Amino acid sequence: MVEGFLFAMFAGVAVGCALGVVFHRNPVHCALLLVGVLLSLAGIFVMLHAQFVAALQVIVYAGAIMVLFLFVVMLLNIKGESPLLSPGAAKGFGFLFALLVCVELFWTVVQPGGQEGVMPEAAPLAHDFGSPAALGKLLYTTWLYPFEITSILLLVAVVGAVVLAKRKFF
Amino acid sequence: MDLGFLIEALVKILIVLGFVLLGVPLIVWMERKVLGHMQDRIGPQRVGPFGLLQTIADGMKLFFKEDLVPAQADKVVFAIAPAIAVVTALAAATVIPFGDQVHLFGRDIQLHITDVNIAILFLLGATSMGVYGVVLGGWASNSKYPLLGGLRASAQMISYELAMGVSLVPIILMTGSLSLAQIGRAQEHLWFVVPQFVAFVIYLVCAVAETNRAPFDLAEAETELVAGFHTEFSSMRFALYFLSEYANMMVVSGVAITCFLGAWYGPVLPGPVWFLIKLSLFLFFYVWLRATFPRLRYDQLMGLGWKVLLPVALLNLAVTAVVLTVRG
Amino acid sequence: METTPAIPLIWYQVLAAILFTIGVVGVLVRRSALIIFMSIELMLNAVNLSLIAFSRQNGTMDGHILVFFVMAVAAAEVSIGLAIIVAIFRNRETASVDDVHLLKG
Repeated sequence: MVEGFLFAMFAGVAVGCALGVVFHRNPVHCALLLVGVLLSLAGIFVMLHAQFVAALQVIVYAGAIMVLFLFVVMLLNIKGESPLLSPGAAKGFGFLFALLVCVELFWTVVQPGGQEGVMPEAAPLAHDFGSPAALGKLLYTTWLYPFEITSILLLVAVVGAVVLAKRKFF
Repeated sequence: MDLGFLIEALVKILIVLGFVLLGVPLIVWMERKVLGHMQDRIGPQRVGPFGLLQTIADGMKLFFKEDLVPAQADKVVFAIAPAIAVVTALAAATVIPFGDQVHLFGRDIQLHITDVNIAILFLLGATSMGVYGVVLGGWASNSKYPLLGGLRASAQMISYELAMGVSLVPIILMTGSLSLAQIGRAQEHLWFVVPQFVAFVIYLVCAVAETNRAPFDLAEAETELVAGFHTEFSSMRFALYFLSEYANMMVVSGVAITCFLGAWYGPVLPGPVWFLIKLSLFLFFYVWLRATFPRLRYDQLMGLGWKVLLPVALLNLAVTAVVLTVRG
Repeated sequence: METTPAIPLIWYQVLAAILFTIGVVGVLVRRSALIIFMSIELMLNAVNLSLIAFSRQNGTMDGHILVFFVMAVAAAEVSIGLAIIVAIFRNRETASVDDVHLLKG
């Protein structure tokens, strides 16, 4: 019962803030609403026993990436554009396509019947499910190669961002 | 989830909240007195015995001031920015343990509001969210100097967060747990400041920079940038920023004590009393820093954080990891 | 740990689908490059939610690892994307994708 209430609250806040991100005029307000989405998703992650990922979501996503967004918006003094949405046919096509995506996702997720359509029983969880220790064990053994490649990717991103944002070379 | 658990949680929340909210006037008084004596003057001495009621008088003055909102300011963000600063500071105070177990009323009561098993990550998350209080306050004022001050202060905070997190990782390696209660208990025989002195120094510097205190308070000092990000905030909004700064100081000192200075362990007195003594000494050290050092220029500050503290912290982490592996 | 979660895990997938759709709307319909970027982040978060829910379903932590990598890649992508937007903005004084059509034939 408590879980139902918590899920309803987090889901409602997430969907409301997401709609605000897409339909708000002021970019700073959109960024703050996106932070709201991220925080409510972090709450849902905790409900799903993913406490380490929830902490990462708050520290990395809401605490660093969104601060970067806010810095860019504030430094460039980007104002809301008018009109808000793309004109005419592009807007219509956009909504139609989004509707198609939504229907397709619901179809795959919700439809009953058949071996593939029904979600199996939830598996029993290990004692340290979602803890940093368990994630670390998996990350440094099975997933070591992607981990090292991701670190190189981050290095490339840092160098690229510095080069792209410089005013002039030397 | 029985009634006893609820009552216990409520009482602990009231105690910690009361301690932080009532401790702030005391810290402010101590700061003004100590700064005064270090600068060869007396400090507040007229309002109440030894000037103890000075902060209360200042609080009342702030309460009665006019609450100005700048003309083109973003009203919603202007209202929530100080609230974010205070909420994140108080939220971080929930995981700091101020003693070991006690046995009262037939229950084993842990002396911290909640024992999250990722407490250090929770603290880093709360500090990351505290950046929003600063940057939004600066932006919502719709004015040059607050915006610049807010951006500078938040850039400083996110830079020093990295070195702070990395300096805490050797402690996690040595205890094998992210929970602050466990880290505290692991220091029963040897305080972690002895093997991890480098990490302690780095953490100290980063803590001072995180809380925007002298000598790292360029972004909010009165002689620079008017008053930085909280220029346009008056009355209770300013009081909230003030409160959040000192609450942050207490939280960060609490973490330093728990991770490096032996938490609540000490010879004769009970745990919480030792915690209080160490906390007071730490806060006195903060004020001592303010009275002694000149302010760092902004580029010196950022250079220190990225070019000195972060590499040294990473090196310390590597050395600790190697030593722990070799020892088995 | 309990074996049957109190909320049926299908609901998390439905929430992820809704968030993903809202993100798609944002990408296709808004004209400001920054808001399009934020909608992409929204889509990535919807996928993260779906991964975590499936990870809970199966009892393995591979979903958590994938979310970890998605976050790292999102951080890299955001920094480069924002650098590009800053560079464009410096040149053209606009952040609207409708006005950046130099290659149009």
